[in-house]
Amino acid sequence: MNDKSLLVLNHSSSVQSSAQQSAASPTAVRVRGLKKRYKDGTAANRGIDFDVKTGEVVSILGPNGAGKTTFLRQLTTELRPTSGSIEIFGVNAIAEPERVKQMMGITPQEAGLFQTLTVREHLELFARFKGLSKQQARLAAFDTRDELGLSAESGKRVGLLSGGQRRRILIGLALLGCPRLLVLDEPTTGLDPASRHSVWQVIRRVVADGATVVFSTHYIEEAEQLSDRIGIISEGRLVACDSLDRLFTRLEQSYRLEYSDPFDPFGEMCVRYFATFAEAQDEIAREQLSEYSIARASLEDIYFTLTGERPPSRNTEGSE
Amino acid sequence: MKRVIDMLCVFRIHLARLRAEAGPFVLAALVFPTAMYLFAIAVSGSDQVSDERRIRFLAGSIVFSLSMTSISWLGYLLLENRFTGRLKLFATLPLAPSSYVFGIVIFALAQAAIGTATLLISGYVMGVHVHVNFAALAVVVLLTMLCLCGISVIVAARSRSFSEGSLLTDSLGAGLVFLAPVYYSPQATPGGLRQLSAWLPTTFAARAIQASLAGRSQVATDLLVLSLMAAVTLMLGFRAMAWRED
Repeated sequence: MNDKSLLVLNHSSSVQSSAQQSAASPTAVRVRGLKKRYKDGTAANRGIDFDVKTGEVVSILGPNGAGKTTFLRQLTTELRPTSGSIEIFGVNAIAEPERVKQMMGITPQEAGLFQTLTVREHLELFARFKGLSKQQARLAAFDTRDELGLSAESGKRVGLLSGGQRRRILIGLALLGCPRLLVLDEPTTGLDPASRHSVWQVIRRVVADGATVVFSTHYIEEAEQLSDRIGIISEGRLVACDSLDRLFTRLEQSYRLEYSDPFDPFGEMCVRYFATFAEAQDEIAREQLSEYSIARASLEDIYFTLTGERPPSRNTEGSE
Repeated sequence: MKRVIDMLCVFRIHLARLRAEAGPFVLAALVFPTAMYLFAIAVSGSDQVSDERRIRFLAGSIVFSLSMTSISWLGYLLLENRFTGRLKLFATLPLAPSSYVFGIVIFALAQAAIGTATLLISGYVMGVHVHVNFAALAVVVLLTMLCLCGISVIVAARSRSFSEGSLLTDSLGAGLVFLAPVYYSPQATPGGLRQLSAWLPTTFAARAIQASLAGRSQVATDLLVLSLMAAVTLMLGFRAMAWRED
């Protein structure tokens, strides 16, 4: 069994367990008709309906400027929607932002830390903001810094830390107080692979503890690894939000043929999609291709198909 | 109780800043005002400066210190929080904007207490004979700081950029002192300016502090006006300081 199959198996079991769990549990996030038009007239969200069940992990993918961050900022009450409704565990997030924030842990895409505070001071003080007692705050700070691999930096001022370490502190601040809902805007951007994996482990742990997670990412692998469902936002609309298996069914042409052009063997690889394996084989025979590979479509293919973007450095087309 | 803890946490976060970077605070709250006191004595034009004048100059320097602490230095911190994304971090928390503002105000009050006490000691060392009414002085300093902090919050919340805000806080911090009859008597103020300066918070603060340093307790009118000004500026500050963007 190769890594990919293992990955798919893991993913399916995760979807299954989550589905079982959510069947009996209430809705964590319920968004209806969410629209956001900025003062300059830019329509960043154009009517989004979105539901997340308790215990689910939902990732949001989309090109730059598609409206992911605007969407998450409205979810976290940071940005007032132009119209529509948002409920977090049944509480109206637009009318009662403070109450909603008591249930949430939030990592914004860009936020500054206090250069003159140490890692420990950050974690302890922000735990106090979340209603923990002094003793609980100290314990929570201790656990969080350990979990995120920041023990060695505990006494260091944040001004002396690397960008990746600061990013991990921001994630740590969101985890404090065991929030029921985590909203993370590109949590692993700028992290090295090892740190990214440690953040994935943390997300898996909080989900196992019963939390619900909504996060945006540019890493398709991250969405595949962590999510029960994947939402794709394009031009301010949620064009899809489903499990990976169900997203595949959206592709009419789910076989991907990647080949080098016989007339330009040193050029870019070409990609074409086919509805069946046999069609792809026919194409190989017809074009007398010698260098090629056929694979099932990936999430990346779904992403490019649904967003209408083109993958970089490849000639992409569907079969005729 | 949660509100009090929140305010104290905001205070502690900024106290760490003061601990690490005391230089700008010492300059704003002590060095410049003390230098201004000596400058005012030097240019007052007579060899024997009367006690009343010395008290006015000391009161002026205390107002200068309060203005620099609350508007220039605190305004800078508020702008920095806003334009470096720290405010965004506070906004992710179950924290009321008023708790954030009051946490900052407590920080400013602590600095004002240090600055005022140090200037009083410096004044004593430099031979100013004062009969301080401490209760009145404490109330005047408190109300002056609330009023000036409110202005600072409004500027920091409304500025379109860090540089615009920083220019405004620096200008206001010094301008509110030099446009008001703080180092000179109201009669010495040019006619046109007199109408404006009569309504500046620093005018009321300087008059009340001068009275407190002279041991007089007739500061009720000035305190009343300062209270109203503090209520208005803080209210406007809270309204400007919304977590949620439109």
